[in-house]
Amino acid sequence: MSNDDIVLACQGIHHWFGDNKVLYDVNLDVVRGEILALVGPSGCGKSTLLRAILGTHPPRRGKVVVTHANGTSEEALRPGRDRGIVYQCYSLYPFLTARENVAIGLMFDQTSLPFRFFLYPQWRLMRRRHLEEAADLLETLKLADAIHRYPHEMSGGMCQRVAVAQALIMKPDVLLLDEPFGALDEATREELQRMLLTLYAENCQARRRGEPPPYTIIIVTHELNEAIYVGDRVVGLSQYWNWRTEGRDHCPGATIVYDQISPVYLPDEEPDYGSFFRQRTEIRHAAFDPAVLEKGDELRRFWQDVREGRGQGVLAASPGGEAAARRPEAATGAGR
Amino acid sequence: MIALGVASVAAMLGAYTWMSNRQHRANPEDTTIPAWRQMAEGVKRAVEPNARTGERWIVVDAKATATRLFLGLACGLGGAAILGLLMGCFEVVEAVFVPPLSLLAKIPPTAALAVFFVMAGTATEMFVAMIAFGVLPTLAQSVYLAVRDVPRETLYKSYTLGASHTEVIWNVIVRAVLPRLIDGIRLQIGPAMVYLIAAEMVCADLGFGYRIRLQSRLLNMNVVYPYIALLAAFGFVMDFSLRRLQRLVCPWRQEKGN
Repeated sequence: MSNDDIVLACQGIHHWFGDNKVLYDVNLDVVRGEILALVGPSGCGKSTLLRAILGTHPPRRGKVVVTHANGTSEEALRPGRDRGIVYQCYSLYPFLTARENVAIGLMFDQTSLPFRFFLYPQWRLMRRRHLEEAADLLETLKLADAIHRYPHEMSGGMCQRVAVAQALIMKPDVLLLDEPFGALDEATREELQRMLLTLYAENCQARRRGEPPPYTIIIVTHELNEAIYVGDRVVGLSQYWNWRTEGRDHCPGATIVYDQISPVYLPDEEPDYGSFFRQRTEIRHAAFDPAVLEKGDELRRFWQDVREGRGQGVLAASPGGEAAARRPEAATGAGR
Repeated sequence: MIALGVASVAAMLGAYTWMSNRQHRANPEDTTIPAWRQMAEGVKRAVEPNARTGERWIVVDAKATATRLFLGLACGLGGAAILGLLMGCFEVVEAVFVPPLSLLAKIPPTAALAVFFVMAGTATEMFVAMIAFGVLPTLAQSVYLAVRDVPRETLYKSYTLGASHTEVIWNVIVRAVLPRLIDGIRLQIGPAMVYLIAAEMVCADLGFGYRIRLQSRLLNMNVVYPYIALLAAFGFVMDFSLRRLQRLVCPWRQEKGN
């Protein structure tokens, strides 16, 4: 691993809406190439954290820093092309076909409005290339038959794949998935989960070649099985922690109470949900049980495990590498 | 479905013929519900050059009314589209224009006819101002609400795809609200014609409203009815054209009735 391994750093994030305290001292470093699954009880602030990372709702205190592939870092104060987003409701442009929906990012990124107006012939040439590129990507996502369809002519699963393609074509530093499969049926959900694992497999191959992994994904989900299956790391956010020991009368907001490695699966490998039982129980205990406020540090041993070489997939490439070594102890809220 | 539509029009014409025949049995000289023969005479009067002025009524009236209507609609619809878009996109414009537009939208332009008459005389400008004033507030509010209805997630996503503010407005918001803008225009054609005909009836010396009022007072309903039929046909053609335009420029729009 190189110095650019931490692609995203949430540093001491606090967020509140009036008297409603949502996030409290959230520290999270995301390794380039990992799929981080963020879980937690309803209303604990998962989506708020995601919006803070996206930049649409910057944190009231603390900051989110994105490190680009070229090594430069930037605070995320507004949405930018370095962070892609896929919403549960797809949010495709209804007036564009699947192919145009995917190509529009290339248009925004590589051309300007005056260019498209005043240099129309050049723009037409570029447009053709963008559409071809979009069609190729859709083909790899098994959507070759749907490239000319409008969103209302596609199923939910197809729309969600187009939404993923729309974000991926921009090659963002981090791809944020906000409960992306929540509205889909079981079969479609599994298909899309395998699609994410295919991306993860590409990350592992890139890492083995010594290249930076292309896809870093943060997925917010309610499904613990999905979090364990798709993610190589599961982070639990919860308002149930021992805030009373800090002399407070009210919960100051949710914080990270669970942060651990999870098993890595190949796309064509069937998950053994039975084997998830131990980790599922741990997550429930740590993040979902209001009666359990004392959280031991053993629930947040992600970086310790990485340092000790227990990481798999992208994290296994260089166990105990610089990312783990550089990481400050406070970054997962350890000691809370 | 087409057969049903044709049948309903045929039923209407049949009912008119029956009423006209009944009236003419009681009074063969009646002009309030003219027979088809009388109607043909009325059309002939409107189409042939007038003996005194040498002008064809239908030509001069259509020219005057169409000029006023299209100029008024152009000003009103163009202004409404731009203002509604700006109100939806910029909070400052929203704060400045939404309250007065909400108020102005409630004033019937025909009630303010005297104001337009005083401020713009009886020339074309008066009719244009009246139509523009009549359609602008309502349509601007409609566009404004359509812009506000564009999901925030779609806009956030546009920024993550590298769009600038101008691109978000032009490439996302304008395209998203286009069907509702065209729907709004369709709905404003009728009121615009009402305002214009009402104004022409009161203070014009040419135009459909003027001719209908004049011939009504003379009980020449055989001229009035063809004029009304022409107005209906014009409205229908405008609406049909806008629907076709909507299908052409917004092929993605799901049809939810007309």
